[in-house]
Amino acid sequence: MSEELTSSLEDYLETIYLIISEKEAVRPKDIAKRLNVSNASVTGALKTLADKGMINYAPYDVITLTNEGRMAAMDVLRRHELLKDFFVKVLGVSVEEADKAACAMEHGISVEIIDKLARFAEFIEICPRGGEEWANGKISHCDKAISLEVCQECISSISDKVHENHSKQLQGGRIVKKLNDVRPGERCKVVKITSKGNLFKRITEMGLTTGTIIEVERVAPLGDPVEMKVKGYHLSLRKDEASKIEVEMI
Amino acid sequence: MKENLTIALAGNPNSGKTTIYNALTGARQHIGNYPGVTVEKKESVITYNNQQLKIIDLPGTYSLTAYSVEEVVARNVIINEKPDVVVDIIDSSNLERNLYLAVQLMELRIPLVFVFNMKDMAQEMGIKIDIKSLSNLFGVPIVETVGSKGDGVKNILDEAIKAAQVPEIKYPVITYDKVIEKYVNSVEELIKQHSTNIENYNTRWLAVKLLESDKDVMQVVPSPIVAEEVKRAEIDINKMLGDSPETAIASARYGFISGACQECVTTTVEARHNMSDAIDSVLVNRVLGIPIFLGLMYLVFQLTFTLGDPFMGWIEQFFGFLGDKASVLITHDLLRSLVVDGIIGGVGGVIVFLPNIIFLFIAIAILEASGYMARVAFIMDKVMHKIGLHGKSFIPFLIGFGCSVPAIMATRTLDNQRDRILTMLVTPFMSCGARLPIYLLIIPAFFDKNQALVLWVVYLIGIVMAIVIAKILGMTVLKGESAPFVMELPPYRIPTLKGVLMQMWERSWLYLKKAGTIILFVSIVMWALTVFPLFPAEKAAEFEQGLPELEQAAEEKAAELAEIGYVIMTDENMQEAESINSKLTERELAKAEKIAAELDEVNMQIEDINNKVAEAELEYSAAGRIGKFIEPVLAPIGFDWKIGTALIGAFAAKEVFVAQMGIVYSLGEAGEDSEALRDKLRENYSPLVGFAIMVFALLSAPCMATFAIVKRESNSWKWAFFQFFGMTVVAYIVTFIIYQVGRLFI
Repeated sequence: MSEELTSSLEDYLETIYLIISEKEAVRPKDIAKRLNVSNASVTGALKTLADKGMINYAPYDVITLTNEGRMAAMDVLRRHELLKDFFVKVLGVSVEEADKAACAMEHGISVEIIDKLARFAEFIEICPRGGEEWANGKISHCDKAISLEVCQECISSISDKVHENHSKQLQGGRIVKKLNDVRPGERCKVVKITSKGNLFKRITEMGLTTGTIIEVERVAPLGDPVEMKVKGYHLSLRKDEASKIEVEMI
Repeated sequence: MKENLTIALAGNPNSGKTTIYNALTGARQHIGNYPGVTVEKKESVITYNNQQLKIIDLPGTYSLTAYSVEEVVARNVIINEKPDVVVDIIDSSNLERNLYLAVQLMELRIPLVFVFNMKDMAQEMGIKIDIKSLSNLFGVPIVETVGSKGDGVKNILDEAIKAAQVPEIKYPVITYDKVIEKYVNSVEELIKQHSTNIENYNTRWLAVKLLESDKDVMQVVPSPIVAEEVKRAEIDINKMLGDSPETAIASARYGFISGACQECVTTTVEARHNMSDAIDSVLVNRVLGIPIFLGLMYLVFQLTFTLGDPFMGWIEQFFGFLGDKASVLITHDLLRSLVVDGIIGGVGGVIVFLPNIIFLFIAIAILEASGYMARVAFIMDKVMHKIGLHGKSFIPFLIGFGCSVPAIMATRTLDNQRDRILTMLVTPFMSCGARLPIYLLIIPAFFDKNQALVLWVVYLIGIVMAIVIAKILGMTVLKGESAPFVMELPPYRIPTLKGVLMQMWERSWLYLKKAGTIILFVSIVMWALTVFPLFPAEKAAEFEQGLPELEQAAEEKAAELAEIGYVIMTDENMQEAESINSKLTERELAKAEKIAAELDEVNMQIEDINNKVAEAELEYSAAGRIGKFIEPVLAPIGFDWKIGTALIGAFAAKEVFVAQMGIVYSLGEAGEDSEALRDKLRENYSPLVGFAIMVFALLSAPCMATFAIVKRESNSWKWAFFQFFGMTVVAYIVTFIIYQVGRLFI
């Protein structure tokens, strides 16, 4: 779908998505301000996006993303984040610099390359001999490895991890958050429960399992715990308990 | 046909299980709207259609994992006592979560009946359930009921009796993911080969439970070969499914449920915001939530104590009256003392708490049954969690400022054992009403200028110590995590009068029966401590020298007055006395008044001697001796044996301290407003000691009624004694620091 969009349209889409996630309603002048362009060019771009079925747009009304639009925006955003990550973690570039470069590169690059870059970045991060030290150009311990066998074992365990993380977090550009970061009124779906023991059992028996839809209702007057709607009833959780539940926004 | 059937009732908290149990058995049993109200197992035998039915009320649980005590109890009853049929009460308006337990019961392969309760609520919410096809799908008979109205309740018994006679169980087996199934089978095979004593269990169930890493089942199947296979399964399942076996199994159960629901349940109206949501948006509102909460808590406190007060007054008066009557009737000194001070005083001491307890439990029953109790926890949890407790601990603390006895009973609302014990242990640090007389005696005596400030500081010390001690205990003796907060906020319901009264009655009765006997016993022991060993007659005679003469003089003077026709004025007979005396001539009146003054003088001397005897008796008694014995220990905190003796007396009830101080200072039984006693205190002690007394009285061993109720509620002497000695040690340390540091500055 994104092939049909020019890079500037992708920028618009990304901006709309970001504004929506910050304050729900989007007006053309917010976009103009954010992208540093004129109101007229915003109007033009919005019309094109509406024609492509990416947004719902009528003059003087608030702008919302269509389903397709949201997917496309999330895709751009994901590419942006991955590139930035790569620059920072692997190349050791400063965050601002990385942001700028990612902005410029995010449009042209293919999904396949992006995915490979992402996996590579993860590999570097996860590899015990990689990480920051590696990125900073220091000598990899791998060169001095005692035996090839040790090295291979290590690498294969890392690639397992990368595979696992990849399959869980990067499919379809989902945004994975912790449940305690979800705000009242938002809906999300359980991706993974990371707690163990009693808390885990309790969470499960109360009906929170992978795939369960949660609607966060409100936060207690003192800021903790949180009340949410699950399977048609109300459940309350402390924030630190909620932080053990990974969810994706819907 | 089997003559005697055992039927066990299972179900989620808030599913109306208790209401159904009551409707079936007519027994008095507690109905609540708060998760985990039913902690004890309750049984009842009824006769139905000439059949004896034993009905067991299992604790309310959300599942059958070994997560909580309730779940373990419920599971053990089902497995070990093998009821002929298990009836699962299901809240129709909250079907999916309630069916989770139902599915686990199905996995146990036992005869079942499902009761879809609260049919009316479900209908109101637009939920339509195709009972027939759901029943076919599950292979379990389903009965629809409205427990609160008693609709359909009789059908439960009919279906249960039928289900108990079905020879073969035909429920579908819940199948899991392929990888899991593979290991369920392999583990089951190994269990069959390597385990003994598992006749009670279904082996597939055991295998599934092991994969769910259920600690209890691990003990049933201790085989290392099985354990090894389970471990292998865990790793493999994790790898293949990206989830732990526990999650995958639970998801599969919910998957089965949601599949069934999709076929058989339709929601006609999209009722997203119902009445309950609307109430919640006000009651736990970010702005209004706290003021409303504080207001309601104030009401609870007022209801408990203000409404209870007049009744307490009447009870005290009644027992006072009874004591007076008994004093007149019994001539034997020791027997009179036992009956009046020991028994009547003791029974009075038990009953006097009853009004508070009754009103408190009415308040709590309303809070629980309405659903607000869960909101109390929701609102207060942030604060209480900071000191390692649960949001629900707030209510006992609040009630503790009135009286520790009902406060400790209020810990019943906590369902985690650790949280409950911890709350119980620190609740008496909240300064209760019975300590107030001590402060009221001492503060005006020493701190005339800063009365309110000092009182405030004393209360604050109690609160601070409660927090400190809760923290310390939470990290040491009662180590372990506080219960996960994960808790249902049940929909608001209107409490039924019957339910509220039943709960009130049950708990009050429990108090009388269980705590009352201990209180009565201890109060007789306390009486004995202050009476025995008996003061030797010859020693008493020393004090009483001249007493017969004085008594005779008093008699003579009274006779003289009677001869003149003069009536001594008392509070009661003022008008009468005045009218009689006014008939006397002036000379007669002058003479009579002179005699009356002399009589007064004599009477004072007599009273003085009696007070001295009382003092000597107390000093001679076990309490006095203990006081003297521990004097060296008390010296570092500034106390002498007199304070020590009075503090021992304070174990009977904190306010007794004041009366005891009166006795040891030869003032008789003084009240908290006795200026004479305050003078004595000022003469003998410094303000620092005065303050130390208050702090010690606040923090030290709670009164015997609290001791008894802690024993009863924790179901162990251990905690009662731990609290008794622990608090005393804490009191000693704190008072020691205050006294020793204070001495450096004063």
